[in-house]
Amino acid sequence: MTIPVELVNGPARKNKKAFEFSEQHAPEDFHDRLFELEEAGELIVQRVPGPYIEVPVKYGRSKKVPIGQTWHHKSCGQCGHIPGYSTSIFWVNRKLGIEYHDPTDQTSCTAWNYYASATSNAAAQACVAMRNFAAAYESDHFPIIHCGTSFGHYKEVRHEILAHDKLRAEVREVLKSMNKPLVMPEEMVHYSEWFYAMRDRIAELQVRDFSKISCTVHPACHYYKLVEGDAIYDPEVYGGQRTAVVSGVATALGAEVRDYSTWFDCCGFGFRHILVQRDFSRSFATQRKIKRMKEEADPDVTLTHDTGCVTTLDKSQFAAKAQDPDFATIPVLSEAQFAALAMGAHPYKVCQLHWHAADYKPLLEKMGIDHEKAWAEFEEACAKLERGEQQYLTWDDVDAEPGVVVPR
Amino acid sequence: MTDTVVVIGGGPAGIEAARNIADLGVRAVLVEERDRLGGTPIFESYAALTPYFEDAEEAMDAMIAALHERDLADVRTNARVTALSGEAGNFTVTVEGAGGSEDVSAGAVVVCTGFTHFDPGRERQVYNYYQYPDVLALQDLEVQLKAHDVRVPSTGEVPRRICWVQCVGSRDRNIGNEYCSKVCCGVASKQAIEVRRICPETKAYIFYIDMRMYGYWEQQLYWPAQEEHHVQYIKGIITEVLEVRGQGLVVRGEDTTMGRPMEVPMDMVILSVGMEPSDGTRAMASLLGVDQNKYGFVEVAHPPLDTVTTTRAGIFAAGAALGPADLEDTISTAGAAATKAVALIRRGAPAVA
Repeated sequence: MTIPVELVNGPARKNKKAFEFSEQHAPEDFHDRLFELEEAGELIVQRVPGPYIEVPVKYGRSKKVPIGQTWHHKSCGQCGHIPGYSTSIFWVNRKLGIEYHDPTDQTSCTAWNYYASATSNAAAQACVAMRNFAAAYESDHFPIIHCGTSFGHYKEVRHEILAHDKLRAEVREVLKSMNKPLVMPEEMVHYSEWFYAMRDRIAELQVRDFSKISCTVHPACHYYKLVEGDAIYDPEVYGGQRTAVVSGVATALGAEVRDYSTWFDCCGFGFRHILVQRDFSRSFATQRKIKRMKEEADPDVTLTHDTGCVTTLDKSQFAAKAQDPDFATIPVLSEAQFAALAMGAHPYKVCQLHWHAADYKPLLEKMGIDHEKAWAEFEEACAKLERGEQQYLTWDDVDAEPGVVVPR
Repeated sequence: MTDTVVVIGGGPAGIEAARNIADLGVRAVLVEERDRLGGTPIFESYAALTPYFEDAEEAMDAMIAALHERDLADVRTNARVTALSGEAGNFTVTVEGAGGSEDVSAGAVVVCTGFTHFDPGRERQVYNYYQYPDVLALQDLEVQLKAHDVRVPSTGEVPRRICWVQCVGSRDRNIGNEYCSKVCCGVASKQAIEVRRICPETKAYIFYIDMRMYGYWEQQLYWPAQEEHHVQYIKGIITEVLEVRGQGLVVRGEDTTMGRPMEVPMDMVILSVGMEPSDGTRAMASLLGVDQNKYGFVEVAHPPLDTVTTTRAGIFAAGAALGPADLEDTISTAGAAATKAVALIRRGAPAVA
């Protein structure tokens, strides 16, 4: 589905020719070195399992995104602060009838501290990444990474592993002590790329009408500003001038994507800032992002695709509200939650919006969701747990059976 | 030894090289793929040439007319070089044109395939070149300057405030273009002067890392821009161009002199885009088998005292095919390349540095 630049911002561009990415200016394709090392017996390349979808990435290249047989590398912050994010990812997979693996032996990537200049060394960083890739390989599932920071960091680790013989040898020795092989996935895949690749199939199972929903999109810095060649750029979305993930999903679901001037700014998380200068993060998130979105686009919701972005944009708004009771808030969701809601997911049992801070209830009402009834259902589900009737909610409790694809 | 030199490319370098070759008594076959000569100054609608402000079209037309006066200059437009065989002194150059394919025997070849402007849509998308109609590149503004009518594209109004953002696509390690494109500081200053002449009410600003005003450009452009035309130079890096709805463009960056962030409203923003090898330069270098540097420009074999001899004997290059170059450098290297090509033929042996 096309989102021409001129539709999202101002008058049509008539004074410049159309832009096209060209392979001519592309950086070296890492695959060449990757397969060369495999040929030399230095490492194993885990191939993207079929069936897969090829998506366009920067410089006019393409990237394979596996549909199923995926190993879900979860995000610390998602699981800890916004658990409905990862639950929504799994719920959508289940609704689409797709086989995946939710591993229990995943190691934290440690990249947050790395980008906050708090830790560590190249070998330790690389060992963590390669340990996770080995675990995915051993389970015969392909890694798909929930966290934008892990995704960005692993791309950098890949570059280091491919470029430095000594580091590679060091990491291989460490992995050997864990009895694990040195494995690099053929592609580094972020979950939002899977949603982008699957957006039409997701839309086929849509049960809620989003045509009256407007949204703004915050693209995550670590998704597209680090090792840019891996990020999805679709000429059909923003004329290829911005990454197409999230916007492509929102548009496929019939929502209106609205533009705002500071789309490229950081959410405010800033890694070091959220740890040691949190007031700066709060100010940046609210003044540079939320306030601008509200003034320029007035969306029903802002969508993003990373842990830090959802938490910072969402959970900073209370600070501005405390300073100014009239500060106009915007609910913040991941596109995974947005897509799950479109497909009929329960706003509390699945999307767990009660973990979100900015007022999302007007959004639910606009989506046609009776949030009071939904909350009562959630409370009843919790009461069951309290009564000891079941230990935890199961997928059966949240209608996670594959849906019926209605031919269009 | 064949008494002909094939010159590839009909811009300033190619025209000058062919003219010199003919003047030295050797037949020059000039091959240009477009339908007329003139190169980038013509096809990108340059207004005035830097730094002397001559009318670009008039200057180029004079060059072209002078070339056509040379009986030994054989100009082939709508033609392309598609193959090369042989060796220095005895090349066979296949030229395909409207009339079909022809093998031209040549003692030497001069590559004058020039440059292209950096495309800010490929990287640095935060300047929003393709999104905002009022964000232009140097060559876009040249079109307006040529018409002596500077207008904000989205409104049709004369701009109240216009700025240039320097080093877009140049001196940028992140995108692999570490080199300075040499001409952008001078061209931006020239354009600012032209804008101030055409619309004196327009305030003009140039945001720069440091102004590289080579040689006499300091006195020809830099000081007159400030002292006579009141162009304001602000040392600082522009990181983004925003469009705040209803309020026009805003350039955001750091004023490094004052050591503080800045946001400045603008009606028009001109990106001073750098130079990259043209598709023709890349293609011809590859076809002719001459080395290219990491940026794709033609590599010279024996710098610094030989600026035009490539890594393949008998093949020379001139102008912006060799790297960022202003017109004076371009014309100078064209003369040098012509001389070396003719010398090779006269001596009957490959030229050496």
